[in-house]
Amino acid sequence: MKTLNEDAQSAGIILLEIGSLLMSSGASTHRTRLTMERIARGLGYGIELLITQRALMLTIIEKDHELFFSRLKRISPHGVNFRMVSGISHLSWDVMEGNWTISQISVEVQRLKSLPHYPRLVVLALVGLAGAAFCRIFGGGYTEMTVAFIATVTGLFVRQEALKVKFNPYVCVYFAAFSASFMAGMAEHFQIGADPEKAFATSVLFLVPGVPLINSVTDMMDGNIQNGMVRAMNGLMISFAIAMGIFSVKMILNFIQ
Amino acid sequence: MILLEILTKSFWAGIAAIGFAVLFNVPRRVIFPIWVLGTLGGLVKFSVIYFNVGIILASFLGATVIGIVSIQMAHMRNSPPLVFSIPSVIPMVPGIFAYKMMLGLMALTSTENTDTYLKTLIETVHNGAVMMFILISLGIGVAIPMLITRKESIKKSKFKKNKKAAIST
Repeated sequence: MKTLNEDAQSAGIILLEIGSLLMSSGASTHRTRLTMERIARGLGYGIELLITQRALMLTIIEKDHELFFSRLKRISPHGVNFRMVSGISHLSWDVMEGNWTISQISVEVQRLKSLPHYPRLVVLALVGLAGAAFCRIFGGGYTEMTVAFIATVTGLFVRQEALKVKFNPYVCVYFAAFSASFMAGMAEHFQIGADPEKAFATSVLFLVPGVPLINSVTDMMDGNIQNGMVRAMNGLMISFAIAMGIFSVKMILNFIQ
Repeated sequence: MILLEILTKSFWAGIAAIGFAVLFNVPRRVIFPIWVLGTLGGLVKFSVIYFNVGIILASFLGATVIGIVSIQMAHMRNSPPLVFSIPSVIPMVPGIFAYKMMLGLMALTSTENTDTYLKTLIETVHNGAVMMFILISLGIGVAIPMLITRKESIKKSKFKKNKKAAIST
């Protein structure tokens, strides 16, 4: 690997990398801006930023205002990853207080990128439990909770598989909503449990776009109206995909009755 | 009896929060705090609903409590507060209302009878409005500590002092 030089250009490149990682991991626009400015200050540069949902624009200015460096970077969506947000937050304070160099930052970013996710079975089991928990909150009994658990696990499994073969993300959500509510719908069809509708309504709740919707409100409160609108629209598209999945299952259930 | 029901519901809200925490790949050291926060938020929300306050204000209060406590947690566990607050708030996200609204919108495309149309329209608008206001109140509730203290980062002097003390001892 080529070693990075300690100049404005490599600082700009590493800053853009950090910013795009933060945006795709589910940090709000304000947090991304603050973190990037903090790191730049730690390295001794001033920066100007334009943050949008899918691209970052950075101009880095050296102190004498003679040299500057500008670059645009695309943000590729990866899905929410709070381990990354937490790690980068630590990193930014290390740069501020520990006077880290650019190569140290680059090593740490590589380490954060290689951190493992939770094992797949653990994720499936705990998200399934979350589905059962939703069912309990809405008043379901143990049978409905079991149905919600199975439906959620199936839906999440299908979503992971669909993401692996690189379907459009909204189509992935549609597939997941379809299979989850199909499982719950089957329970409804065969009259398993006292109140199978509760399992049906809660089986897709794990897909609810909580992070885009909450971040959308946060962004708008911070005055980043544009990013907030984009996130809200994204959340709405996901909700629409979920609704289409449920709608398809309802059609099938009506048909086989 | 009601108390027991509120307690169990809150317990399960905490479990739901853990599910989302794992889905969002949080660091392992914050999983237990997230369960505590989710339970606490549920406790506040369900108790307030029990006193016949609307679901919007109840969600707002629950989210505010989560927002305030998550700052303490952030100091204790050394992670940014959003890592705690977002997974714990997500069980309160009005998924049911969102999906009822979507189903209503779809039903509107195929309804021809005026009476059914009006009834569906009223329900859809109601569900949509409740969903929107709950979402806004969740977002603001979580942000309230920041709005009140007017600090750019929670990791101001307080944390730095702790760190230095830890090094010097």
